[in-house]
Amino acid sequence: MKESANLHGDVAEILLTEEEIAAKVRELGMRISADYAGRRVTLVSVLKGSLPFMADLMRAIEIPVRIDLMEVSSYGGSSTESSGLVRILKDLSASIADEDVLIVEDIIDTGLTLNYLIRYLRGKAPASLRICTLLDKPARRLVEIPVDYTGFTIPDQFVVGYGLDYAELYRNLRYVGVLRPEVYTELPPE
Amino acid sequence: MTTPFAHASEAEMSRILDFYAVRWEYEPDTFPILWNLDGDVVESFSPDFYLPDLELYLEMTTLRQKLVRKKNRKLRRLRELYPDLNVKLFYARDFRALMLKYGKLALFDGLSGASGQVASPYGAPVGPVAALSVDPGGAGTTVLDPAGPLDGDIPHRRRRRRGTESGIATNGRAIHS
Repeated sequence: MKESANLHGDVAEILLTEEEIAAKVRELGMRISADYAGRRVTLVSVLKGSLPFMADLMRAIEIPVRIDLMEVSSYGGSSTESSGLVRILKDLSASIADEDVLIVEDIIDTGLTLNYLIRYLRGKAPASLRICTLLDKPARRLVEIPVDYTGFTIPDQFVVGYGLDYAELYRNLRYVGVLRPEVYTELPPE
Repeated sequence: MTTPFAHASEAEMSRILDFYAVRWEYEPDTFPILWNLDGDVVESFSPDFYLPDLELYLEMTTLRQKLVRKKNRKLRRLRELYPDLNVKLFYARDFRALMLKYGKLALFDGLSGASGQVASPYGAPVGPVAALSVDPGGAGTTVLDPAGPLDGDIPHRRRRRRGTESGIATNGRAIHS
């Protein structure tokens, strides 16, 4: 049996409380509902980190929504060595042609994954394609991407919780926190 | 064709860009930044990467602090002389954060403080990608820490300066696409 992480003890600082996140999600839901009024929108969430945000955001939106899920391989993951190219691990389950699509992201830092995803989804001819992210870390940006809905702009720190992980852990924290640096070395990634 | 990178961190960056299908060129341009009284170029700057679809130059600075200061100075000069260039300096902390994100922190630790001659030839072909426009984030964003200005808030139209009157040559190489 593997040694477990100390879920709360490994967090050096709470950056966003559960209440702050909830309030922001409600605010984003209201804005999205107003912007897409009279239409329906397809929310596309990117696994796995966006799951909590997606689940809360969809219930904060007061217009008809469809939801779909995608998963793409990450650099450094198990598929990296075999192909050297990003792969779609889980594709959309329904067509988005002529649909208003809103990508729901947990965090945008370099923008590399999102840049790839945008190009991929544009190829499926949606009526519109917009981006909603809970967290934005602009200090890390390599690819500048227009973001339509941003919850919080955060400092350049390694954060976990509310879907965000380190070594697949800490996703179930109800808040977003800064991980203690010593955890990086003591708890190697999977 | 393989690319003779000067440092293993550059090779790693090229693999990351390849992975996400971002086209890149390695040191395609050299920009004169200092001339003597006779008009001869005495100092120039060759950013490590050019990402043509993003119109972005990327300079990796993952080495010793002394070299970082020198690069900072050269970059300031470059921006003064070529204000329309979009250049991002990628510091050691940026590379470390990237490696942490991808679960490769051990690789960074292995490179930290290295002299910079860990050659690692890479350069897998990737497909063409579409350029993206730039637009500020949506209203209502809560900024916890501005964390400094964004590099390249406004995309600059690239002006490639191949060669100068004083005779310095650029070393244009093939785009990896």
